[in-house]
Amino acid sequence: MKRFLFTLLSFFIIFFLLEKASWYFINKAPEKEHDRRLEKIVAGSFNKDLIIIGSSRGVNNILACQLEDETGLSSYNLSYKGVDILFQLFILETYLKFNPSPKKVLLLLDHKHTFAKGNPLFFRDDLLFPFSKYNYINNKLIARGKRNYGSKIFGLLRLNRKDFSTKKKKVLPNEVLTDCGSMPNPIKRPITLEYQDEKLIYQVNNENPKKIEAFKAIQKLCQTNNIKLITVFPPNYKAFDFGFMKRFNQLNNSENSVIIYDTLNPIYKNESIYFDESHLIRDGAKIFTSEISEFINSNK
Amino acid sequence: MYFNSLDFALFLPIVFILYWFVTNKNLKLQNALLVVASYVFYGWWDWRFLSLIVFSSLVDYTIGLQLNHTAQPSKRKLLLWSSILVNLGFLGFFKYYNFFIDSFVEAFSFFGSPIQPNTLDIILPVGISFYTFQTLSYTIDVYKRKLEPTRDIVSFFAFVSFFPQLVAGPIERATHLLPQFYKKRKFHYSQAVDGCRQILWGFFKKVVIADNCAEYANQIFNNSAEHSGSTLLMGALFFTFQIYGDFSGYSDIAIGTSRLFGFDLKQNFAFPYFSRDIAEFWRRWHISLSTWFRDYLYIPLGGSQGGTWMKVRNTFIIFLVSGFWHGANWTFIIWGFLNALYFLPLLLAKRNRTHLNVVAQDSKLPSIIELVQMGLTFGLTVIAWVFFRAESVTHAVTYLKGLFSSSLLSLPTIRPTNLLVLILFFIGIEWIGRRQHYAIEVLLLKQSRVIRWAFYMIIIAIIFVFSSDNQQEFIYFQF
Repeated sequence: MKRFLFTLLSFFIIFFLLEKASWYFINKAPEKEHDRRLEKIVAGSFNKDLIIIGSSRGVNNILACQLEDETGLSSYNLSYKGVDILFQLFILETYLKFNPSPKKVLLLLDHKHTFAKGNPLFFRDDLLFPFSKYNYINNKLIARGKRNYGSKIFGLLRLNRKDFSTKKKKVLPNEVLTDCGSMPNPIKRPITLEYQDEKLIYQVNNENPKKIEAFKAIQKLCQTNNIKLITVFPPNYKAFDFGFMKRFNQLNNSENSVIIYDTLNPIYKNESIYFDESHLIRDGAKIFTSEISEFINSNK
Repeated sequence: MYFNSLDFALFLPIVFILYWFVTNKNLKLQNALLVVASYVFYGWWDWRFLSLIVFSSLVDYTIGLQLNHTAQPSKRKLLLWSSILVNLGFLGFFKYYNFFIDSFVEAFSFFGSPIQPNTLDIILPVGISFYTFQTLSYTIDVYKRKLEPTRDIVSFFAFVSFFPQLVAGPIERATHLLPQFYKKRKFHYSQAVDGCRQILWGFFKKVVIADNCAEYANQIFNNSAEHSGSTLLMGALFFTFQIYGDFSGYSDIAIGTSRLFGFDLKQNFAFPYFSRDIAEFWRRWHISLSTWFRDYLYIPLGGSQGGTWMKVRNTFIIFLVSGFWHGANWTFIIWGFLNALYFLPLLLAKRNRTHLNVVAQDSKLPSIIELVQMGLTFGLTVIAWVFFRAESVTHAVTYLKGLFSSSLLSLPTIRPTNLLVLILFFIGIEWIGRRQHYAIEVLLLKQSRVIRWAFYMIIIAIIFVFSSDNQQEFIYFQF
């Protein structure tokens, strides 16, 4: 028995020491990423007056540099494609933990998808994986059940198969990060869009209670940190969703500002400014960003 | 508690230490520890399931003793049937109740008399199919006077609930496992090291091969209508390796863990994908279940003793029952039926016991004929697995139609290179170790410790990296 335990212990001590080599790959993983905004947040590299959080509507439709020029407020876009409000809450929490509080937060809403169950928006763990060298990120992955507790000790448990690849990740034309964190769509998608004019019915029973809680938590975080929260309804190539608006009003604290795109402006019914039915191209984003700047300037 | 969980990583060393350092001087105490540990292991899923296993153990323990006291054949038969009814009754209720209700409703609707279904919200207790068969084997063997009933209740309870093999086998026979609880176990260095090696290989099969194949198999099977024939073929192949890696991996971990406690469990998989015909495949796949059906169903039905018709009938019965054992779904029954069909020509030609040895026994590589035989057998099993994996019979049929379409010759859209390389590595190691109980049993044993340890460490490193990507439950837990 003594021999067995000694052999086993020796084996694991040697393994434990050798596996530390995995930190080479863990440290290299972020370098393969085009989008390293999350790393900058955790490293505390920001000190902005205004940040934008949201999903692809946020990252595509708002040009943070233009906003900065027009309002004089230093701005940065921290929206991510395909993420839900739980992820947006995580971004805000992380930002506030490692960086000075901004004066304003723009929260881009996803209309009926904002609080809905299931797809198409979700908590994108894949955005966290490359940055698991940071204990904060790794702990978040553990809490979400995407890593096990062993990853606190073993570097190998922080790695993914993809981390062994030496290639840089492919960047699509609409994923090119601009200086202020936005990713405008350069051209329209080669499809014909049809304007959807029908009245939408909002279904409360299709809501995910965790997403409702996340929205409340965002409001509370802003309140405690003295941040002006501005929720934004971006344009879609379809009729305005009054059903969602009604529901939103029930959940929104009246102290927060709300920006709704100018529904009477005919430009938002012009197909040429859209990438697809819910995302603008750069020209459309310029128009929408100006509208937001105007609102901020008039409410300073 | 799953083998591939942190809970088990803590549970195993604790039980190991208590077993060899605290209770080692007293056999009864050691067995009692195993019972407690097994109940903790099992209750980790849902403590309510414990009542079932305790009740089942009590019934068979009592009936075993009663059988010993009774010489009267009719009374003995009654006792045997009581045990069968209780055990299969639980199994039938928890596993098949809703299936039968749904099937009746469908049948009535088909004949134009729709009725309201009265299904129940039943949770299938983990491992019920496995321990039910294990306890049944005890009672049947006592009835047949092949085994003396035990008076040692602790040993009997430990035999029924022995945690390494409780939830997914191997299904042990009382004649083999129970006597091991009567004797004092001694710690053997070589046995323990061998156990660790088998556990390691089991984890590799499960975490690296099965879980990663599952990711792609699920992706393809869940959207099968959208994929080309070649991609559907990839999906079927991924599932073929998933089910093997998952189930044989579990068996390896179970057998290896038992060896750490001084127990010997029977081999459950003997490299089935290297079989040269379906009969050989079934001698090598889930051996503990196949032999259970052979001994407790096929032989009592007359086995191969009668004429051709009886042999064919009995073969179909055991394959259909085996399919049904896997789950309450027509897909499993058709999977069993298909295997019986594959088996039929061999049975009729009396060639079902042609390949009793290991393929390429005396050479490193198979002959061309063996290669063709293995390829054909493998191909047939891949087709059968489609039924096993599909959501419904219609799904399986459309999947196979799509697979055998003209797009079979196109390039698959899903072809993960890393995984394909790992599968080839896996097949290579399994081929090298095909004469052993598990692939790495003697691999590199003649090499220096540095080389052996380097190999084991690489395997652990691969397991670690792959385990962080996606973890899946063991497939056979649902059976």
